[in-house]
Amino acid sequence: MSPKHLSRDTKRFLWIGILPSALLYGLFVIWPAINALMYSFTRWDGLSTPVWIGIDNFVNLFKSGSDFVTAIGHNIYLTVIPGSIILTLALFFAWMIHLKVAGSTLFRVTFFFPNVIASVAVALLWVLLYSTTEMGPINNIRQALHMEKVPFLESARLLQSIVPMMVWSATGFYLVLFLAAMENIPVDYYEAAHLDGASPTLQFIRITLPLMWDVLTTGIIFLIVGGLKFFDAVWVMENGRPSPATHTMSSLMYAKVFEEYNVGYGTAIAVLLFVLVLIITRISMRLLKRERLEY
Amino acid sequence: MDRRTFLTQASGCAASASLIAAGCHFEPITKDNTKTIEVAVFEGGFGIEWHKDMARQYEQLHPGVKVNLWGDPRVDEKIKPRVLRRNPPDLASCTLPVWKLITAGRLFPLDDALASPAYGAEGKTWKETLRAGVLADYVYDDKTYALPSNLGVWACWYSKKLFREHGWSAPSTWDELTALCEKMLAAGIAPLAFQGKYPQYAWSTILSCYQRLVPFEKWYDIEDFKKGAFLDPSFVKAADLMQELAVKYFQKGALAMTHTESQMEWANGRAGMVFCGLWLKKEMEKALPDDFEMGCFPVPMVTGGTGDPKAIYSGGGESFFVFKDGKHPEIAADFLKFLLSIEPARDYVKRNDSLTPVIDCQVGIKISSALQSAVDAIEGSTRMYSDRLNTLYIEWHRTLVQQAQADLLRGAITGQQFADRLEAGAEAVRSNPNIYKPPARGVPAL
Repeated sequence: MSPKHLSRDTKRFLWIGILPSALLYGLFVIWPAINALMYSFTRWDGLSTPVWIGIDNFVNLFKSGSDFVTAIGHNIYLTVIPGSIILTLALFFAWMIHLKVAGSTLFRVTFFFPNVIASVAVALLWVLLYSTTEMGPINNIRQALHMEKVPFLESARLLQSIVPMMVWSATGFYLVLFLAAMENIPVDYYEAAHLDGASPTLQFIRITLPLMWDVLTTGIIFLIVGGLKFFDAVWVMENGRPSPATHTMSSLMYAKVFEEYNVGYGTAIAVLLFVLVLIITRISMRLLKRERLEY
Repeated sequence: MDRRTFLTQASGCAASASLIAAGCHFEPITKDNTKTIEVAVFEGGFGIEWHKDMARQYEQLHPGVKVNLWGDPRVDEKIKPRVLRRNPPDLASCTLPVWKLITAGRLFPLDDALASPAYGAEGKTWKETLRAGVLADYVYDDKTYALPSNLGVWACWYSKKLFREHGWSAPSTWDELTALCEKMLAAGIAPLAFQGKYPQYAWSTILSCYQRLVPFEKWYDIEDFKKGAFLDPSFVKAADLMQELAVKYFQKGALAMTHTESQMEWANGRAGMVFCGLWLKKEMEKALPDDFEMGCFPVPMVTGGTGDPKAIYSGGGESFFVFKDGKHPEIAADFLKFLLSIEPARDYVKRNDSLTPVIDCQVGIKISSALQSAVDAIEGSTRMYSDRLNTLYIEWHRTLVQQAQADLLRGAITGQQFADRLEAGAEAVRSNPNIYKPPARGVPAL
C-alpha cells in the first residue's frame, strides 16, 4: 500500500511512532556528523576557537609519507589478506559441513566458538599466545624445536601477527553465514546435477556459488567494512600506543583527537574514513552485482 | 490518563530532562556545604594507596572538604575526553598534551599556592620547600602550571646478589658495560631486559649517553630544539651505542615485551640488568624474591666523551595539573600543596621507596638498598638534568621519535638515519607556527 492510501490517523500514528527514534538519531548521529564535517575544515585543538583552514587538513592527510597514507595501507592489508583467507576457509568448511562430512556438527560449533568471544578478549588471548616470555606457548614450542624466538608482538611485525588472529576469530561467523545460504538451496538441483554426472566441485561452482551469491556479497562487504574500520586489536596489542608502523585509520583518528588534541585533523580522518567506506562498499557492490536467481 | 497521573509523569519527565541538561555539571548539594574535589591519579608502579590516605588526612585537616580520589593505569584515556568536554576533575596526574592546555588557558596557575606558607614547614613558602629545578618544565608567561609528585632517577638496575655470585661489579665506563654484557652472555644470562613495546624507554638512555659525550652547552641545544642539534656527530654516536646494546645485548624477544614482562624477566634472573626509573622497585615489588638486593648505576661515561661524568639524568615524574574548568581549583591546588609537603613526602618515601621533590624528604628514614643506590647517585652528582621534549612536542615524540627508536633498536636504520629523521621532524615543528615553542633556556643555573 502506498503512503497516499493511508488514512490521516494512520499517518499521524506512524509519525508519532517514528518521531522519538528520528529525534534521537538526528541528535546523536546526524548532528554530530554535520559538526564533524565542519570541524574537518578547521584547525582546532578542541580547547580554543576553531580556525577555518579550508581543505588543508585533507591536503595534509595525503602528503607523501603522512601517517594517514601509511594507515590506509595497513587497512588495505588487514582487509585483503585476512579477508581472502577467511572467505576461502569459510566457504571451504561450510561446503564440507554442507556435504555432511564426519563430525560436521562438532566442526560447526567449534568454528563458531571464537566468534562469541569479545574482540578485546581475543586480542588479549593472542597477546599471551605470542608472548616472548615463558608464558608464550608458540615461542616455547619454537624453543623446544631449537628455533629462535619470534617477537610476534614487535610493532614492525604486528600486522602480520594479527592476520592469524583475525582468521581464527572470524572464519566461524562467515562459515555459519555461508552454510545457512547453502542449506537454503533446494536439494533437487544437486540431485539433478548428480544424475547428469556433475562432480561435487562442479556442483559447487555451478549451483552453490551462483545461488548464494547475495550472501557471499554481503560477507565480502562485511569483511571490507570491518577491515577499513579495524581498531580494537591494534589498540589492545599495542597497549593503547600504536606507532606509525601499526596505526590503522581508526586508531590514528582516535590518537589525533583524544591523545594529541588535534581535533580538526582527527575529524578530517573520520570524514575520509566514512567517505572511503561508502565509496569502496558501493564499488564492491557494483562489481559483485549479478542477476538475482530465484529458486 | 487522568490529569493527576499526567501531571505526575510530566513533572517526572521535566525533572529528568533538567538533570540531563545539567549533565556533568550536576553537583550534589550537601547540608553542611561540604566542597568535593575530584582527583584522578595515574595508577602506575607506585599505586594510589598513599594518595588515598593523604586524601583522608586532608579531609581531617579541612572538615569542609571531601576528596574524591580515584586511580587507573589508563587514567589518560578517561581524562582526555573529559578535558575536551570542559568537565575535567579538579586535579589529575596523567599524560596530557599539556602545552596545548597551558597555551589555551585551561590549566590553573600554581603560583599563588607556591607563594603561600607550606604545610609543616614554619616560616617557609611551599616553593621554598621544593627542590630547585622541579618547577622549571611547565613555566609559561612566568607562571607555573604543573608539579611533579615524585623525583625519578634514570639508571641501570641489577641484582647485587647476582653480581656478587659472579664476581661482577657495576661498570663506570661504556666499555666496561659492554665487557660486562659479554661476561653475562658467557654465563648464559641475557645482559639487558628491555621494555620493547614502549621504545620510548630508550630515549632517556640515548640522551644520557649523549650527555656523557658532550658538554651541557651542547646537550641543551637539543632541548632548545636548535637547528641541526640532532645532526651533531656525538648524537649519532649515542644512537649507534644504543643500537649496539640493543642488537647485541638485549634479551631475545625483548622488543615484543611490555614493561612488566621485561622487568619480570629481570626480576626472575633471566636478564642481568634493566634501564628504568626509580619506580621499578615498587612496580616489581610483588615479583621480586625476598632476598633480592637491588642496585643501580647511572649511564656510564663514554670513553673520549667530554660531558660531565657525574651528572645524572633525573627529574620530576607523574606531574599533577589543576584544571581551571574544575569546580574548585583553589582547593585542588591546596590539596596538591599538602601532598607535596614534608610529612606526606616522608610517608611517600617510606611506603614507596622513592623520592619526592620535597627537600630532605628522605633524611633520617631507613631506606632500602635500591633507594640508597639512587640517593647515592643523586648525592654524588654534579647536576640533575632531564628531557622536556616529550611533553613539549607530543606529536613529534609520539609518532616520529617512537617509530625511529623502534627502527633503530631492531637495526633497521643506522644512527645517522635516526638522527636525520629526528632533525627532519624537528624542522617541521620549527617551521610550524601553530606549535608553541618556549624560549631557549640554555643550561639552567644550578
